[in-house]
Amino acid sequence: MTTILLVDDEKLIQRSLEKTLLRAGYDVLTASDCKSGGEIFSQNADAVDIAVLDLNMPGFDGVPKNDAGLDLLNEIKKTKASLPVIILTAYDEVGKARDAVSSGASAFFVKGREQGLVELIQKTLKLDN
Amino acid sequence: MTNHIERQAKLLKASARAAKNITTILDPYELFQRTVDIICDEFGFYYAGVFLVDEARQYAVLKAGRGDAGKAMLREEHKLAIGGNSMIGASIANKKGRIALDVGEEAVFFENPHLPKTRSEMALPLIIGDEAIGALTVQSVEEAAFHEEDIDALQTMADQLAVAIQNSKLHRQEERRSRLLKAANRVGKETASILDLDQLLPQTVNIICEAYGLYYAGVFLLDEKGEYVVLRAGYGKAGKAMLEEGHKLRVGTDSMIGACVAMGEARIALDVGEERVHFKNPHLPHTRSEMALPLVYGGKTLGAVTIQSSEERAFGEDDITTLLTMAEHLAVAINNARLIDELKEAHNEILRNKVFEALTAASTEAIHWIGNKTLPISLTVSRLREELAADGKVDADSLKEDLDMIAESAAQIIQVKEQLIGAVREMKPRLVLLADAFQAAALQRGVSSETLKLSIAPEAAYVYADPTQLVRAFGNLLQNAVEAGAKTVRVDSRLGEERGVLEIRIEDDGAGMSREAQSKAWSPFFSQRGAAHHGLGLPAALHVISQSQGHMALVSEEGKGTTAALFMPQGRAVRAELKAEGVKSILLIDDNDDWSNLLSELLKGSTVKLTRSTDLKKLPAADLILVDENVADVSLDDVFAALAKAKLTAKTIVLASAINPENVTRYLREGVKDATVKPYSTNELNELLK
Repeated sequence: MTTILLVDDEKLIQRSLEKTLLRAGYDVLTASDCKSGGEIFSQNADAVDIAVLDLNMPGFDGVPKNDAGLDLLNEIKKTKASLPVIILTAYDEVGKARDAVSSGASAFFVKGREQGLVELIQKTLKLDN
Repeated sequence: MTNHIERQAKLLKASARAAKNITTILDPYELFQRTVDIICDEFGFYYAGVFLVDEARQYAVLKAGRGDAGKAMLREEHKLAIGGNSMIGASIANKKGRIALDVGEEAVFFENPHLPKTRSEMALPLIIGDEAIGALTVQSVEEAAFHEEDIDALQTMADQLAVAIQNSKLHRQEERRSRLLKAANRVGKETASILDLDQLLPQTVNIICEAYGLYYAGVFLLDEKGEYVVLRAGYGKAGKAMLEEGHKLRVGTDSMIGACVAMGEARIALDVGEERVHFKNPHLPHTRSEMALPLVYGGKTLGAVTIQSSEERAFGEDDITTLLTMAEHLAVAINNARLIDELKEAHNEILRNKVFEALTAASTEAIHWIGNKTLPISLTVSRLREELAADGKVDADSLKEDLDMIAESAAQIIQVKEQLIGAVREMKPRLVLLADAFQAAALQRGVSSETLKLSIAPEAAYVYADPTQLVRAFGNLLQNAVEAGAKTVRVDSRLGEERGVLEIRIEDDGAGMSREAQSKAWSPFFSQRGAAHHGLGLPAALHVISQSQGHMALVSEEGKGTTAALFMPQGRAVRAELKAEGVKSILLIDDNDDWSNLLSELLKGSTVKLTRSTDLKKLPAADLILVDENVADVSLDDVFAALAKAKLTAKTIVLASAINPENVTRYLREGVKDATVKPYSTNELNELLK
């Protein structure tokens, strides 16, 4: 079964996305910040098939930080360079999307269009395989 | 022979006395008038008069004359043509004294109706160097009153008079030069300190006109295109009228000012009728001399000053020199004022950009926040629809969780709405006991009494504010401090430097803020503490303090803590007579806090017995029971239960620091007599006890 690492500090969004992904048939590991996200990934690096990371959330020091998701992406890629990563954001900005892609993200997803997230995950996994 | 010698000696003595008196007079008008009087008095003559040659050297103009005849002729501006048919005219033209012993026989004598008794006349030229500057006439009622020898005796006095006139003229010139220099210095000094053009230019024209005694002065500045010079300040009514008309002149040769600016050179018209380029101005009909001085700074012409006199040939070399100096000073002052204006404009531009940045940041934060809070609702609804559409079966637990998520998201949105709207609700300012407001805020936000340390000076115990809003603002600040990890929050209130203003410092030892965080701290929806926080506490507190006519500042250092400084209007409690009106005993259910101590103080000396307790097991009998809404030791539910059990609810009034309609409704439903705000003064207590 495909395992997704989902990291988002908005508790309700995290849980709602988790339920959507569970219902779609995925295993979901959740975390609320870079630190716990990094730890969960380290413990499950082999099992995780794809990561969905919020862009703005608490960083490794627990303090909310812009683009903290990219920091976590970098850390994850050090362990598993081939892991596909989708960056989630509330901001519909081309610049941020470019930053995410140049940091190694496979896709950039603007929150509010979740209906397409499951399809995006499927498509990303398919492309990577 | 002896008589002749005696007469000569007498004339010489009188001449010497007159000369001695004349030479000490420096004021020209006094000099002329005193001269004619001295001559008539010393020699016993019927009339004496002083004439001076005009600038065109065409006429001898009467400057002083003895008695009524002299006054009448001065009024008529009496003048005689040089070289013409008069004793004076001929004397000046020939530079020689003349005598008419019997005026009826003198061919050149001019028959003067003001001096009908004249039978002898002597005209003596006033000579300086080789030039006759005027003449003196002395007249007698006696025929053949003068001898040829008398001419020499009186000519000595006339020569002394000529020297005195010259001295007076030099003195006058010196005095005028000094006055002009002082005026130029005054313009330079006074204008240098004025940095606002709208103040500088009117002030300058006033100084110029007052110091130089001029008819009019105006300042023109070049417009942006360099096509026109626009009047920016004008003296008196004429100036006001021209300013209202938006008076401007084209740069070029159509006007003196236009030509002056075009060429960057001063232009002077000593008789404006002769100046080809002079602009006939209906507002200034009396102008007879005009100067246009360019205002040049750093090689660039900024405009020009027009200076006008109602006298012909009013400006001499000295005036031109000092006025040019004044114009240079003014050009420097105008340039300085413009630099300041440019700096102000640059500052405003920066401020506008900063405000725009702040608004953009705040809007972005707000949009982000709203998106995050509404997203779970749309997500959950969407998922539920899919589940229902797929198999029609819904997991009850999952459904309950989804509904909870929708409810929580909605609750958070409502909470933010309350925070946003709460601060802009109508303000009802009144006297507020600071300590009570802080204690109520701390209790509402779960800040312990060990954390909150109050240090309030007696004279800084009250503020003037809406208590409900104030408790909300204090609560936000205390909550921020505690969430930043503060172990202690110190509140210090004292009289500030500004009269009637309290300085309230709220200092915590929490995590503090970075410079970047401080720059965003006032923006709504900015929070350092994660998604669960709205980031509205500080902006809402600022709003409340501003509405209370106060202001607020923030100082923070990362790792050391944050201090919020509030500057608020001081409240003053007025002592009045207590009117208990039938209430003899009060039971107060409250802690030993600042407000309960104040109530005890207000009742001191009255017949009302106050008992304070939080022991709900033993409620003593009382006419009135007061319950503090914020009691740390016991819960309000327990208080209501105990009161109901003792059948005391109907005698109870719940007192709140910050009144809340929902709470009031709840208390009234419990059956209490009333729920209202805590009294902070005798008058308020009287109202409560009515």
